[in-house]
Amino acid sequence: MADWDSKSFRPSRRRRSSGSTRELLVKQAKPSPQLQALILDNGAYTIKVGYSKDEEPRLIPNCIMKAKSERKRLFVGKQIEECRDCSGLYFLLPCERGYITRWEVQKPVWDHVFSKNVCPIEDNPVILTQPLFNFKSIQDCIDEIFFEEYEVTNLFRCVPTDLAYLNYIRERNFNKRHACVIVDSGYSFTHIIPYINGSKFVRAIRRLNVGGKLLTNHLKDIISYRQYNVMEETYVINQVKEDTCYVSEDVKKELLEAAKPLSRNSIVRNYVLPDFNGIRRGFILDPNKTESEDSYQILRLNNERFIVPEILFHPSDIGMKSMGIAEAVVKSIMSCPIEQRESLSKSIILIGGNCKFPGFKERMYAELRSLLPDKWHVNVFQPDDAATYSWKGGNALLKSQDFRNNVVTKKDYDELGSMIIQERFNNFMFDYRELQTQSKPDRDQEKFKYLSKLKSGSIFGKSDVAISIENTKDQIKVDAEGENSNSGQSEKDELSVEDTGQDVGIVKRSVGRPGKTKEVVEVVQKDIKVPEEEEENLCESIDLFPFGTNSYL
Amino acid sequence: MTITKGAQRGSTRLKENEKLRVIDDVQRKRRQRKVMEMLESDNYHDDPHADLVMSKKVPKFEDNLEQRTNRNKKRERTVDYYQFKYRKNFQQLVDEDRLESEMKQRPSYMDIQCEESQLPARHFCAVCGFLGQYNCLSCGTRYCSIRCMETHVDTRCLKWAA
Ligand SMILES: [Zn+2]
Ligand SMILES: [Zn+2]
Repeated sequence: MADWDSKSFRPSRRRRSSGSTRELLVKQAKPSPQLQALILDNGAYTIKVGYSKDEEPRLIPNCIMKAKSERKRLFVGKQIEECRDCSGLYFLLPCERGYITRWEVQKPVWDHVFSKNVCPIEDNPVILTQPLFNFKSIQDCIDEIFFEEYEVTNLFRCVPTDLAYLNYIRERNFNKRHACVIVDSGYSFTHIIPYINGSKFVRAIRRLNVGGKLLTNHLKDIISYRQYNVMEETYVINQVKEDTCYVSEDVKKELLEAAKPLSRNSIVRNYVLPDFNGIRRGFILDPNKTESEDSYQILRLNNERFIVPEILFHPSDIGMKSMGIAEAVVKSIMSCPIEQRESLSKSIILIGGNCKFPGFKERMYAELRSLLPDKWHVNVFQPDDAATYSWKGGNALLKSQDFRNNVVTKKDYDELGSMIIQERFNNFMFDYRELQTQSKPDRDQEKFKYLSKLKSGSIFGKSDVAISIENTKDQIKVDAEGENSNSGQSEKDELSVEDTGQDVGIVKRSVGRPGKTKEVVEVVQKDIKVPEEEEENLCESIDLFPFGTNSYL
Repeated sequence: MTITKGAQRGSTRLKENEKLRVIDDVQRKRRQRKVMEMLESDNYHDDPHADLVMSKKVPKFEDNLEQRTNRNKKRERTVDYYQFKYRKNFQQLVDEDRLESEMKQRPSYMDIQCEESQLPARHFCAVCGFLGQYNCLSCGTRYCSIRCMETHVDTRCLKWAA
C-alpha cells in the first residue's frame, strides 16, 4: 500500500507498545462504509459545521456577544442575528492566539452548535479540527467534553490543513504522495505547511502571527485616528474590512492613485455605516450617485483599503519584525529537501478567510514568482471557497482508510487513556522519521538569497521595481533578471524595524453608536485647496512627498 | 485653507521646548508593545454587562440527547466547570508545549514562528497613511509632511509617553 497509513504515524518507539491495542481498536470502531459524520472546523472566529452529506457547512460565529442595547441577554453564535442593535458589541471569544483558553465561552457556543435546531450530534462520529500542536490540556478538555458530556461514539481530530490537503488531492485525483504547500490565513494567524509524501514536513512549517483579527484592529485604529472613533465597533469595522479592503498589485502605484484628488481618484469609497434602524449592514455608496441621503453616516476609505491587508505581506509596516506571508512561503519551501522544492512551488494552495481579499492570489503569485528561482514553475491555487475548503475535506477524510484506522471510540477513551488517543490524532499525517533522520534543521538548506533579487536602496524594496504594466510572467522575469545584476548591497540597516511609536486609542473622544459618533476634527485636515498643476507635480514626484494630507479626504 | 482646531489652539509653538523631549528606546519599545497588545485585543471597551454574573445568563440549548436512554444527566456540567478544571493562561500552555516538544523531539509552538524578515521595512506616514520619509525627533514616528508632523505632535506624539 503506497499510502500514508502504511507509514508510521507515531514515533517508532511508540509503535511496538501500541501495536496490539491498535488492532483491537480497528475491530471495535469499524464504522460502516456509508458512514456519516458531523464535521466541525473550529475556527477561532467562525465555526464551520455540518454533516458530511451537506454540500456547504453552516457558518456560526465562535463567540458570545453582549449588546449595549440589551442587558438581559447574551447572544451565542448565530443568535446575533436576533440582535436589533449591533453597535458597540462586546465580544467574548473562546480563543487566545487561536488556541482555546476560555472554556466558559467555548462550551456554550458548542452547546449552541449542537442544539436541536442547528446541528445535533446524535450518533454521528465527530471530526473536529484543532490548531497545529494543540496544547495537551486543551485536548484533555475537548476529550472530556465530547466523550463524557456529549457522549460521542467516535471522535477524530486533525489540523484544518490536513483536510484541505485531502480535499485538494481528491479534487484533482492526485495520488497521496503529491507534494504541495498549504497556506492557511485565518483569524488568529497564518500557517504555512508543506506536505510531502502525504505528511506534513514538520521542519519547514512556519507560523506568521498575522491574521484577520489584527487587520481589523489595525483598521479600527487608523479610522479612529483619522475620522471617527470606532474603537468599540469591532463588529462593524470587520464588515467594513470585508466590504472594502483589497490587496494591491503594486503598493506604490496604488498610493499614487490614492493621492489624486477625489474627482479622479478611483480608489476612494464612501461607505455607509449601519445605523441599526433602517440599515443593518453597511455598504459602499454607489460612486455614480451624487446625492446621498442626509441620514447616512459616511466613512471615507482611501489608502486604508489596501494598506491594511499589506500587513500580511509586510508585517514590518506596523513594526513587527516577522517576515511576511510570501517571504515565509519561500522560506518554508527552501527548508524542504532540495529535490522536493520545485514540485512544492508548483502546488501552492491558499485557504482561509484572508484569501477573500480581492487581489490576494494575484499578489501572492507575483511575489512568489519574483522571490523563487526564475527557472521554477510557480503555481498558486486558491479555491473559490477558501474559507470552507478545509471543512469540505472532512468528507474526503471520512472515506479514507486512515479515518477508520485512527478514529477514537468512547471505549478507547475509557480504556487507553489520553496519551495514546491524543497521539493518534497528533501524529496523523505527521512523519516523525523526517525529524529523526535530519536532526540538524539547516543542514541541506541551500543558501538561497532572495534578498539579492531585490532592488536595494528603495523604500519599497521589490515593489519599487518598475513593473511597468501588466503582471505578465515575462515582464516579471525581465524585472527579476534586471534586479539580479544590481544586488549585492544588502539592506541590513533597514532591517531593524523602526518603532512606529503610534500610540493607541488616544482619540478617546465621544464614544457611541456609529450613528452618533462625533467627527474627530482635530486630526483630519480637510478642504485643503491645492492648485491643479501643483497637484500634478506632487503626483509626479511621489518619492519626494508630501502629497499625503493634501489629497486625503 | 481650513485651519484645524488643533492648530488653532496655538499652544504648539509655546510648548515647543517641552515637546523636544526625546523618548528613549525603552519607552519606544513599550509603546510598540502597547500597539501590539491593542492589535491582539478582543475589545477596546469594558464589558457593558460587567455587573451581571455571566453564568446566570448563558441560555440553555435543547440538545436532543435526552432521548438517549443511558444518558447520564449528572454529566451535564455547569458553565464554569471546565474553566475551573482546565484554566491555564497562554504562557503556561506555551511552556508546557516546549517541554512536551523536547520529549517528542518535534518543534514547539514557539519554534515554528517565522524568522525576521530580510526585506527592508517600508515607511508610511502615521497620520495620513501615505509614504512617510521623516522620523519624529521625539518619538520616531514616521510622517510625510510638516502638516502631518504637526498633527502628530498635537495628538499622539508625547501624549502617552509616561
Ligand atoms: Zn502624512
Ligand atoms: Zn512624535
